Amino acid sequence: MRQFPYGKAALCILFAAITAGLWLAAHPVKNKTATLTFWIFAKNHYDACKAAAASFEELHPGVKVDVQLVAGQAVTHRLQAAFWSDLDVPDLVETEISAAGTFFRGPLEHVGFVDLTDRIHKEGLWDGMVQARFAPYTSRGRIFGLPNDIHPVMLAYRRDIFEQEGIDVSKIRTWDDFIRIGRKLTIPGKRYMIELSDSNQWSFEVCLFQRGGGYFDSEGRCIIDNEIAVQTMCWYVPLVVGPNRIGNSLGTSQGSGQMLTRALEDGYILCLICPDWRTKQIEMDVPRVSGKMALMPLPAVTPGGPRTSTFGGTMIGITKHCKNQDLAWEFAKHLYLDSRGLAQMFRMTNTVPALRKAWNQPAFAEPREYWSGQKIGLLYAALAPEVPAQYTSPVIVTAKSKLGEALVECIQRYKEHGDAGFEEFARASLRDSAEQVRAMIRRNPY
Amino acid sequence: MGEPKHKRHTDTSKWFALQYRYAPYLFVAPFVILFAAFGCWPIIKSLILSLHTTNGPKDVVFSGLSNFRFLLADPDFHKAVGNTAEYAFWSVFLQLPLSLGLAILLSQKWLRGREFLRLAFFSPHLLGTVFVGVLFSVIFIPQYGLLNKVLHAVAGVPLDTKWLANPSLVMPALVLTALWMYVGFNMIYFLAALQAVDRELYDAAQVDGANGWQTFLAVTMPGIKPVAIFVLVMSTIGSFQLFELPYTMLGNGPGPDKAGLTVVMYLYQSGFVTGDLGYASAIGWTLALGVLVISLIQMKLTGAWKGSA
Repeated sequence: MRQFPYGKAALCILFAAITAGLWLAAHPVKNKTATLTFWIFAKNHYDACKAAAASFEELHPGVKVDVQLVAGQAVTHRLQAAFWSDLDVPDLVETEISAAGTFFRGPLEHVGFVDLTDRIHKEGLWDGMVQARFAPYTSRGRIFGLPNDIHPVMLAYRRDIFEQEGIDVSKIRTWDDFIRIGRKLTIPGKRYMIELSDSNQWSFEVCLFQRGGGYFDSEGRCIIDNEIAVQTMCWYVPLVVGPNRIGNSLGTSQGSGQMLTRALEDGYILCLICPDWRTKQIEMDVPRVSGKMALMPLPAVTPGGPRTSTFGGTMIGITKHCKNQDLAWEFAKHLYLDSRGLAQMFRMTNTVPALRKAWNQPAFAEPREYWSGQKIGLLYAALAPEVPAQYTSPVIVTAKSKLGEALVECIQRYKEHGDAGFEEFARASLRDSAEQVRAMIRRNPY
Repeated sequence: MGEPKHKRHTDTSKWFALQYRYAPYLFVAPFVILFAAFGCWPIIKSLILSLHTTNGPKDVVFSGLSNFRFLLADPDFHKAVGNTAEYAFWSVFLQLPLSLGLAILLSQKWLRGREFLRLAFFSPHLLGTVFVGVLFSVIFIPQYGLLNKVLHAVAGVPLDTKWLANPSLVMPALVLTALWMYVGFNMIYFLAALQAVDRELYDAAQVDGANGWQTFLAVTMPGIKPVAIFVLVMSTIGSFQLFELPYTMLGNGPGPDKAGLTVVMYLYQSGFVTGDLGYASAIGWTLALGVLVISLIQMKLTGAWKGSA
């Protein structure tokens, strides 16, 4: 070819590249038209939030709220990347409790969320909501998120099997009562009293919180090796391993999907640790046991002690990139503080809100057929004020992981040696894990 | 009257010469620009970050070699290196011989339906790694999983064997899954190499009275050596980059007692979960140097350079 020295093919490629480039240049990405962009990670919140966004738009003509569902794991990493790059940062975002702490790394002025402390106190929300729920979203005394929920924990159980076995759950007041009955009902390899994990810290964490322990104290110091943790470990491990076990796990974390369905239907597991949100999951995953399930409060550690714990949580935060922070705050309040909206959300998600006055809505007193006619809203709301605070840190993910490692070590040890020297081993294992968390904290120069 | 013919000819020649000179640069420019922006710059930036303690890319405090010092004493990093090395070991010493054996089997002319079998063994690789991870996490579930059902029926293995929740069973589960996925893929390389071996050499070996094993050692192995070295090095590099499979199979985490923690997973956690990009960069550079050294050793031991010379 005389006019182009590299032949027709190369000329075609060049032409295609130039055409594509010109087309892209002529069609730039449209500027976002929404007034507020809101990222949400929980699928079951999505529909409720879309409805709330629509009613907010009606109340605020000209305002458009773009609610975007971002996958659970992805939302944290996308938000982190968005903060770092200053690109595509949403105005508001719902963040899961175990990830929230990771955003509080660095100097306070560089935290990507707006400090809501003054607004919360000024509008009386500190007293109007369950105060313990602000703890996971607080760093160095400043509150960066409004809590959506409380997530009190109860035990979900196969009521029909308990009745067949002549068990009166009203007489189960303490864990000692529960374990005694559990040993009668457990048939190793065929039936277990309760789902407890032997490979992941999640169910241990629930028990630890109930006893007043946790990952960090209010000053952000790691406490996974304190005496409460040691004693909880000594109590917990024999429940999941050894001759007196009454618990078994369903997979690598809390059971869900096919495994949960089969285990509950077959009566392989009789009781599940059940925060309010999990009741919805059970209803959806195991519809065939409708009417055969019921809820009871967690047994107390000692007579008269707290009958609940907590597991999971969500906050809404306003990012510093938000240009209209007052409007974003209004939307956050509309979403989390409107009693009627919260009642509607409870019907869709079974989640008891952190706002106390919302619990008086009729939705919370509705009997649920799935749960043998129990008024689950009232049951959870009655336990809500007892929910323990869980403090956080930027290294919360590491702390959870290290606690899990200590648990697995202790289980291995107990399998091989039983009670002999177990307490000393548990103490040393937890101390070792805590020291690794402290080493991570010391690395942070801020 | 138009321009004189010789003038037009001169202009065309100039235009031609101009294109001839600059067109190659135009063609390579997109790659060079993209590689500089998304390849070279991140590499340089990560080297700089590895010398800093960070909170994302904005809060950066120079800390010299402290990330590397912390890394050398970090039990999680040691665990990740141990797990990754174990996986790489099984990839090389289990996966590759199986791939080669399968390739030899499926290159036999007496085997009926070998085209179908080749496709069947290769087909797992057509699935995405994430899909395979999710699939096997279901196959491995205790009590109701397919694997436990089969093993229970065949060998009396307890139904509640927790492949992904027992630290000592996590690595076998990962290796088993990787075998299913990659044996057929590596088989394709070996099949191609086997077909390229000179048939006359086999005839000569037969005339010389060589048995099957002697023929394999003296004819087949030297014939496929360049491909075998390539597969060995690429498998090792791929093993050290292991991430998606354990991440999806173990519920988006490293599994019980970090039995499924790999170096890349630890890098990802340090960078994007903990937000410590400096430490993640230090892990990345250590991994890159480690893989480079191992690859060089492999190539030296297998005589790869001699072959190419």
